[in-house]
Amino acid sequence: MNATRQFRAAVIIGYMLSITWLRRNLMSLVWLFATPFSLLFIITVTTGGRSFALGVVGSLLLVLSTVGTGIAGDATWYRLETKLQDFFVASPVNQIGYLLGIAFAGLFFASPALVVLLPLLVYIGLPLISLPVVLLSLAGVWLFSSAIGYLVSTFTSNLRNGWQSGLLLSVLVGIIPPVFYPAEILPHNILLVAYAIPTTHAALLIRDAMGAAPNLPYWSPLTGWLLIAVSLAIALAVTSRVARWRQP
Amino acid sequence: MTLNSIEAVSLSKIYHRSRTQALSDITLSIGRGEIFTLLGRNGAGKTTFLRIAATQLMPTKGKISVLGHDARDEPLEIRRKIAVVPQEGGTIGPLTPWDHIYLTLLARGLSRGEARGRAEKTIEQLELTEYRNQPADSLSGGLRQRVRVAMAVATDADLIFLDEPTLGLDAVSRRRIWGVLNEIQKEGRSLLLTTHYIDEAEILSNEVAVIDRGRKVLSGSPTELLRNVKERVRVDIVGSTFSSEELNSYGRVVKLAERFRVLTDDQRGRELADEAMKRGSDVGLARVSLEDLFVDLVGREEE
Repeated sequence: MNATRQFRAAVIIGYMLSITWLRRNLMSLVWLFATPFSLLFIITVTTGGRSFALGVVGSLLLVLSTVGTGIAGDATWYRLETKLQDFFVASPVNQIGYLLGIAFAGLFFASPALVVLLPLLVYIGLPLISLPVVLLSLAGVWLFSSAIGYLVSTFTSNLRNGWQSGLLLSVLVGIIPPVFYPAEILPHNILLVAYAIPTTHAALLIRDAMGAAPNLPYWSPLTGWLLIAVSLAIALAVTSRVARWRQP
Repeated sequence: MTLNSIEAVSLSKIYHRSRTQALSDITLSIGRGEIFTLLGRNGAGKTTFLRIAATQLMPTKGKISVLGHDARDEPLEIRRKIAVVPQEGGTIGPLTPWDHIYLTLLARGLSRGEARGRAEKTIEQLELTEYRNQPADSLSGGLRQRVRVAMAVATDADLIFLDEPTLGLDAVSRRRIWGVLNEIQKEGRSLLLTTHYIDEAEILSNEVAVIDRGRKVLSGSPTELLRNVKERVRVDIVGSTFSSEELNSYGRVVKLAERFRVLTDDQRGRELADEAMKRGSDVGLARVSLEDLFVDLVGREEE
């Protein structure tokens, strides 16, 4: 199958594993909304509303990074329990098509939260003209998280470890980096570590797009984009080379 | 173009993590348009062979070509023409049988019209019409297994791999699946299946290979394989009043729970059956089957 057909397959797999599921299982929505909206609520209440904007940015990034890193658990389930991966290995769908399909499923799962959070972001000050910048940075985080989630899943030998890895990755990519709080409060050395995670740059770029330009050492919108692009390229390259499609 | 759908030469597989030799020097040819069955006990290496041929697993040594392409180096060419029912998989929660079959056909690249037509036909063939719009998680285990089989047999693949396709199914469902597999064969397509149900191998297959501990023990058509059994008939006796010496004088005796099975020739079989009836025992007289051969081949060492 050529690239267009692989993309079509990915959209169909994404639809199959998310929309058909969501239509008959609304509980999945509650699960996805729970953590980011809880954090948004806590941050808003504890800062008297002053960090509401940061909370919305953090929630957006957490939703997209969680559906990506959650692939560590989902794809392990598809491989070990349903054997869906085996089914698609022995088919014209290739590994990238399958990975993209599972990533689309995550994105479709996230879409109700995005429908709430993106208009909220515009309402609290994001100029509409900057919306593409936000969408692009969110896409970078989603693809990066999906690639590493999938990579981890292919090396996971049991389902419990799959879910646990997904949760751990979600904390490392979506909660600990400065997405819910200003990066400026981090000590210098820790800030440098945070620069290695693309969600940091996505948060800073969204803040920049909202007119709250961060004032940080070695950082500018250009370096932010560059580091997102580099980390995404590395994640995709490692995943396509190392992830196990056919078992060794 | 090769006449065989699968050619394996000295194929071996070692799982390094568990240091298990799963396949050892297997050489097999599977003809086009055939139903070929790998028969063996649990852990014999059947699934390993199937997964290597279906390009899901790398072999350690040896060569295997599938539909004329090297499975190690040309997996993409093979994957366009195959479909698989993996062993003991599951269905996906709230998706219906229709979703499972129709959407996977679309993902494989079929047009909407073709996918719809094939899904409709397969749902009917496997008697899933009544359940087609029910969430899979509300279906029985047997129905879910039929859905999984349907996902592969609905495709246009030239070669279909089925790993224990009737595991856990009732007798009626098994026969329904056998019927569908026969219809696929009539279309000129090939099937490789694994099973440890001996009747399934005997009824369904053109060729059978018996695998034990990673090695091919015997292969051929079910009729050819039966020529390897010396005896012609088996006499099952329940509530025997015979001594061991008496039974041994008729032929080879196998103890099966509360019954004795005597494997022997036609004449002595009839004599023993008559004598057992005179003595008031329950008796069954039948031709030897693949099961007798199988137990002979793979069970002897254990006894």
